[in-house]
Formats: sequence, structure tokens, C-alpha cells
Amino acid sequence: MTGPSWVPTIDDARVRDGAYVAVYPKGLGVLLARIDGDLFAVANKCAHMGCPLEGGKLDGPVLTCPCHDWRFDLRTGVFLDAPELALATYPVKVEDGKIHVEVGGA
Amino acid sequence: MPDEVTVYALSTCPWCRKTKQWFDDSKIPYEAVDVDTLPDEEQDAVADKAYELSGGRRFPVVVINGEVIVGFSPDKFLEHLKGWGG
Amino acid sequence: MGSEARKESLRYLFDRVVQPLGYKFTPDEELADFLLEQEVKLEQDLGAPFCPCQGRTGVRAEDMLICCPCIPFHREHFDAMKRCWCGLFVHLDVTDPDSLPQFPPDEV
Ligand code: FES
Repeated sequence: MTGPSWVPTIDDARVRDGAYVAVYPKGLGVLLARIDGDLFAVANKCAHMGCPLEGGKLDGPVLTCPCHDWRFDLRTGVFLDAPELALATYPVKVEDGKIHVEVGGA
Repeated sequence: MPDEVTVYALSTCPWCRKTKQWFDDSKIPYEAVDVDTLPDEEQDAVADKAYELSGGRRFPVVVINGEVIVGFSPDKFLEHLKGWGG
Repeated sequence: MGSEARKESLRYLFDRVVQPLGYKFTPDEELADFLLEQEVKLEQDLGAPFCPCQGRTGVRAEDMLICCPCIPFHREHFDAMKRCWCGLFVHLDVTDPDSLPQFPPDEV
């Protein structure tokens, strides 16, 4: 067992404002999104039935799951129609031009 | 005049089954339609009728002498059946 | 996936969703099993496990509001009944699901 650790992913420049990119730090599905200039990382796995969120439409901070249209605020991971439910979120930082994501130990 | 009863139902809905069973057990004749098993060309029209009557999409929709009851609700069925003081 | 296996996976997936909302599967096992069976069929035929007790219109934005578990989209109504419309889910403290009435939202 190891604790959470920072894992380098893609170049910071690859995530445009108002868009997201799917990455796989340590094999974990994560979406990196840039909203109003700030970076966020959430699980690429819907809180409803686990569909990958990749391919869903991003409108401002709100991502709609392609499977059954559940909507999430990517800044917090929170499901818009019931705040008790949320996507997992991960800490992100940019170092040497690369986006690093802190993911849990295996 | 006998009571006029129509049950709009879905074949997948247990409360619709319970509703029909209740009318059977009470020996009250009724007409019933499972909206989802109708031929495609009829389905939309009958579903729309049920939605319009009930103001929603929930089943069963029970019409007793023109009064609409949504859900399996024997107390309300009784209220509207003439033979039972309704 | 076989329909038994899909039923089990829906149980697992839905449990994670409804618990934080204050709901659980109905203790009426027979009812739960029948409803899940219907949902597996609906998912196979139509692509989503729609509520077996609500009708679809064919308009995606409307139909997704009755994709199970649909509690988030009908919260006030279901909280008032202490159950969802089809009764697959009940409030956590419910032990006698048969005692819960089914009434439309305009009676809340
Ligand atoms: S899996 Fe995302 S909305 Fe159903």
C-alpha cells in the first residue's frame, strides 16, 4: 500500500478554457477541465451508473453525462439535482508546464 | 346505472396489477388497457390520453364515472363508486 | 450480460445512489425483484432502465427524468410518500412498505 501521490499527466496547454481532456494517472479515469482559467480534476465515471463522462457536453462548468443526462458542476463534482451525490474530485497542480493530479494509493 | 370504470396501465407496473386485482376481487367490471403492449400506431394516442387525464405520466390512471384517480388507492376508488356510497 | 447478472449490478449501482438521498431498497423482496426485472428489460429494449410505473413520451429530456433511480427529480413528491412512485425505494426508516400510500404530486 502506498499513500496518495502526485502523478504527471499532460501538458498544461492541452486543456483549453471551457474544455476537458480525459487522462489516466495510474490507470484511473480522470477528466481535466479548465473553467474560467482554473483547472479541475474529477473522476471520469458518472455517479449514476458509472458511465464514462467523456463525450458529454460541457456548458460553462456543467458537464452532462452522455448516458442518461445527469449534470455535474466540474468545479466541485456536485450533481446539480441532488447535492448529496457528487463525482470524486482530485487535487491538481501545474509543474514545469505539466498538469499533475494527486490520486490515491493502490 | 352501473359504474363505469377504465384502468390505464403499464404491463411493467405492479401497482397497475394490484389495481386490476382489486376490481376483480370486488367484482366490479372495468375496462383495462396496458398502454405499453398496444400496437405502435395506437400506443402514442392512448398514452397521451392517459397523460392528459392524469396531468402526468404516472400509472395506473383509473377513471371511475368520469373522476380520475392516479395511483393504487382503494380508499379513493370506493369514494367514487356509486354502489359503495361514492 | 445475462439479465440475472444485470439485475444484481443494478442493485449495487442504485444502492450507492439512493442511500445518500435517505432511501433504501424496499424490504418487499418480491416487489424489488419484479421491478428490477422490468428495468433490465426496459434497458435492453430502450437503452435505459426507465421507471416501470411511469410512461415515456419519446422526448429525451422528459424521459431521462424517469430513469431509475429518479428520486432526485421527484424529491418532494417521493419524500411526502416516503417511497418512490413504483415503490422500489423507500425511506431508510420504513419497515412496512405496504402501509405507504401512493398519491399524485398535486396532493403533496
Ligand atoms: S450513467 Fe451518467 S447519467 Fe446515467
